Amino acid sequence: MTNDTSVTDVIKQYIVEEFLPDVAVQDLPVDHDLLADGVIDSLGLLKLIAWIEDRFGLPVDDSAMDPDNFRSVRAIGAFVSHAGQPVTNG
Amino acid sequence: MTDGVDLCAAFAAHAARTPGAPALLWHDEVTTYGELQARAAQHRAALGALPLLPGEAVGILATKSPDTIALILACLLARRPFLLPSAALPDDVLAKLFAQAGCRHILGGPPGIPELGAPAGADALPIPTDTSFMLTTSGSTGLPKIVPLGREAVHRFVQWAGETFELRPGVTVLNYAPLNFDLCLLDVWSTLAAGGRVVLVDPEQAANGRHLLDLLRRHAVDVVQAVPMFYRLVHDASSAEAPVAVRHAMFTGDVMPEQLLAELPRLLPKARLYNIYGCTETNDSFYHELCPGDGISLGRPLPGVRALLVDDDGRVVPGAGTGELLVWTPFQAVGYLDRRRYADKFGPHPAGADDLRYFRTGDIVRRDEDGRTFLVGRRDHQVKVRGVAINTAEVEHTLLRHPDVVEAAVIAEPDPLTGRRLVAHVRRLAGSRLNSLVLREHCARRLPHAAIPSVVRIVGDPLPRTSTGKVDRIALHSGTEGKPQ
Repeated sequence: MTNDTSVTDVIKQYIVEEFLPDVAVQDLPVDHDLLADGVIDSLGLLKLIAWIEDRFGLPVDDSAMDPDNFRSVRAIGAFVSHAGQPVTNG
Repeated sequence: MTDGVDLCAAFAAHAARTPGAPALLWHDEVTTYGELQARAAQHRAALGALPLLPGEAVGILATKSPDTIALILACLLARRPFLLPSAALPDDVLAKLFAQAGCRHILGGPPGIPELGAPAGADALPIPTDTSFMLTTSGSTGLPKIVPLGREAVHRFVQWAGETFELRPGVTVLNYAPLNFDLCLLDVWSTLAAGGRVVLVDPEQAANGRHLLDLLRRHAVDVVQAVPMFYRLVHDASSAEAPVAVRHAMFTGDVMPEQLLAELPRLLPKARLYNIYGCTETNDSFYHELCPGDGISLGRPLPGVRALLVDDDGRVVPGAGTGELLVWTPFQAVGYLDRRRYADKFGPHPAGADDLRYFRTGDIVRRDEDGRTFLVGRRDHQVKVRGVAINTAEVEHTLLRHPDVVEAAVIAEPDPLTGRRLVAHVRRLAGSRLNSLVLREHCARRLPHAAIPSVVRIVGDPLPRTSTGKVDRIALHSGTEGKPQ
């Protein structure tokens, strides 16, 4: 990953559009716990993972299904970056 | 299992006869009947060394594992009552529950948990004689209620479940629910009493449909009992080609979405399908085996269950009609451990026709000419979302405690995926920048997870009201139908 900020922005943009339509992108802190307050529930998590697989070309296997990987924008960014895949244009 | 032999005696008999038979499967690791019996015996010895008074309860955190099951078996063998709360409850709630049940000793669990035990001489409530399991209700706010179940009541249920779902050696049952749920009396405890094998689903993987489907197929599961969401997850993860071989599939705890029900015969072509209705206080009271093209009814009462419909004036509805459902079951608690709270939930027959103590379910049901019973709604603000009982009035009250909230109404809407979801309609203070993220954080600090609304809709205009000034819930329902969240 060459530019972590852009990945964070892409993730933020998606979360806000999909789960928080009334929230401005800049009002979502990167460390906000998205699971604790139900922004993302168990079905939302599946939706998010499908999006990550599609948007970043990253297969998420069962061993990576640990909810902590998807707890916040920062955690998702780290997960995507550590997988070492380039961001596709989508 | 044989008449007159209770759950742990039946388990011990299987362990003696077929010690090498598989009892549990957890993370692909088998625990045999012999191994489980040996671990239970070790725990029982440790239990015997504790300075416990006769009839004193111990605490066991319901963290799912073979060892927790061995601990519970040890208590059953020793006839020691035990409180089995969810490990996910906050520490202060656990401490209060353990104090109520007089649990000075908390077994198993992570370090630090033993300190939650009640101090010696605390004001514990008296525990009915012959209590075995003490489960807790899934309340949305406030302290969960402790439900003490008698050894005999559990025994009668285990017998019914074993006979009805053909549990016996060689049969594999999936356990989806956490160990503190009453559902485990069927899928864990009735199976172990019958000599079958329990495949335990790790709660960490409970939303992973691919994993659940893999468990069903790889372990050739025969019997499943789960909330409708389980079937949704498995359905979405499955391809049409390789259906699973389940023979009995029970759903419970929530509304089964019609659309999903229609898909089940394709997913589970060999399975007999059942809708089971029950609650922690009474255990299962109605069940209905579905036939093709059949609507979902609660079905008929289980053998030995008495069910009454009571109208708004407290009169028993004799035949077809609508009313609140009161039940008495051979499996039920005699009351809550704390008799001072919710004393009106358990009461006598409204017309004095017998000496049984009936449980007021709070569910409004309709009974047709054939005796079939259908759920119509709730008397109060109680709804069930994904198997958890939520009081919508308490969620509204929590929302209204936020300084920027002027009005709040919480309704349970049908959800095509999960059966039902909570939707909060909130009017914010003029000029405030309140958004759903802030409100979610506010709710998360004050409510259990399941009570946080799935959808938070914030408006600046007044909520619709009826002519009597109440929030017009019907208008809210119709106003949001079909809109994306």
